[in-house]
Amino acid sequence: MLPRRVFQFFIIYFLFLGGLMALKYSLVLSDYVIPGPAGIFRTLIAEYRQYSLATLNTMSVAVIGQILSVVMALVIGITGRQSTWLGSFIKVAAYNFQAYPIVALAPILFILLGDGFLTRLLIAAMICYFPVLLSVLGIMSKPVDDIEHFYRATGRMRWQLEVKIRTFENLAQLTTVIAGSATLAMAGTIVGEFIAANAGIGYNIRIALYQSDLGKILIALFLIGITIAIYQALLESLGAVIKRAWTGR
Amino acid sequence: MNNKAKYLILPACVLLLMVLLVTTGAEASEKVVYRLKWLRNVSVVGALYAETHHLFEKAGLDVEVKAGGPERDAIRELELGYADFGEASADQVLRARAKGAPVVVIAQLFQVNPLQWMYRPEELQIGNLADLQGKVIGVTFGGNDETIMNTMLAETGLGSSDVTLFSVRYDYTPFYRRQVQLWPVYRNAQGPLIAAQLDKAGEKTAFFNPAEFGVKFVANCVVTESRTLTEKPELVKRFLAALLAGWQQALDPGNQEEAIKTLQKYDPDTPRPILEEQLKITRELIQPNTSLAIGTIDEKGWEQTERIMRLQKQLSMEIDLKAILKPVGGGAE
Repeated sequence: MLPRRVFQFFIIYFLFLGGLMALKYSLVLSDYVIPGPAGIFRTLIAEYRQYSLATLNTMSVAVIGQILSVVMALVIGITGRQSTWLGSFIKVAAYNFQAYPIVALAPILFILLGDGFLTRLLIAAMICYFPVLLSVLGIMSKPVDDIEHFYRATGRMRWQLEVKIRTFENLAQLTTVIAGSATLAMAGTIVGEFIAANAGIGYNIRIALYQSDLGKILIALFLIGITIAIYQALLESLGAVIKRAWTGR
Repeated sequence: MNNKAKYLILPACVLLLMVLLVTTGAEASEKVVYRLKWLRNVSVVGALYAETHHLFEKAGLDVEVKAGGPERDAIRELELGYADFGEASADQVLRARAKGAPVVVIAQLFQVNPLQWMYRPEELQIGNLADLQGKVIGVTFGGNDETIMNTMLAETGLGSSDVTLFSVRYDYTPFYRRQVQLWPVYRNAQGPLIAAQLDKAGEKTAFFNPAEFGVKFVANCVVTESRTLTEKPELVKRFLAALLAGWQQALDPGNQEEAIKTLQKYDPDTPRPILEEQLKITRELIQPNTSLAIGTIDEKGWEQTERIMRLQKQLSMEIDLKAILKPVGGGAE
């Protein structure tokens, strides 16, 4: 799974880079507008260490943010699965909260909480929790009648059992959503860093933009892409391990 | 001539007349795009004045003045053909030339860099650069202010452990809360606004201008592609003359009312006294000396800017300034 993901990422990235080079050489653009391959390589050598550390910093925040958002989405999704007043209230509150653009909320968060770890974490969690929440709500609200009917008829159904049955029956879907939300967590953290943080790859991209250095931005994109590809592959592998352990297949 | 022919001749003549009007109009006003460095505010009042008072049209130009911003880069737009003229700071121009961009400077708008540091005079006195020691200084990492501040610190022999550099963004709260002692602002645009706010709270403000300590870093200039200058020198001359006339008229104290009206059109929320103050400060930064024509290129300032950027490792090679600085006759006295 991992080599395939990385290989796929390389194809996408180098196709993108190839497109840029085609544009550069067909329009005879200077290295200021689009840097040449040699310039990009020099930037890679010069910035590799700093940018790798910054990407890992961002990734660590994104992973914690994602865990937080998955927990949040599970709690809200499980509580909001019932068609009770509280369930519907939680759903409405979650949807409304999502309606506010993060770029508008982020400066307020930074003023209130400063530009440290906590704010970046919160922004990452806020951006990636909604798709997870939608899936959890969808999965948890849909009864698995074939199995649940037996427990209901025998009066042995408890909410924990209901959640277990629905999770088990939709494990593949949940794994895909959680793996996909990793991209959103990373994007969320980068947005937060870009707006106001003092660390991470988003912050480095902001500095590169100030210096009009597209080469640095291309290197940052490469590192972000490859880190996400590896992380997603690991999540998918973890999902497969959990499924195997649970089902014995 | 039968009736049918008569009915056809009249619309044909009208159509012909319209075509002639359109084509002659197009010949008279050449279409030009001018990309500003920043949003429409006092820092670009000359261009706004020239636009609203039809100075470009009088020069036979149909100029579209486009607002700039942090995500806009006039030099890239020149090369990609999205703009014919633009505004860029000296560091942008030097970086672009170092990477082969065919950009040239035809006029320099700010003679004094508006990027200065605001501070509370009751909190600190800056008699010489050594007074910066131990202070918490705001800088935009990656921005001009970081380069300027690092240069000043290096010239004083202060190292990174002697001061605390604080990462600055659009939010002034750390300065208001006194977490930071020196905060970078555009002296003419943000300076009067923040000073007025602090004044309401009974706090005095002062500005630390690096140029007063011998550090000159050239700010906004008018740029174009070298090919435009070679192939269309008349267009460049006409454009620059109209633009600089706009600056001249906007900064003329006799035209203050008109200049304020122009600014209010784009910036209706800023109170009039602040706009007046902004205009007054801009006048001093654009034309500090009345004997100096608006638009004059300060070659010594450029040399120092280039040297600073090399020392700060922002440039890896020496840049031939003669190939960049191409003053075009059209300066407004």
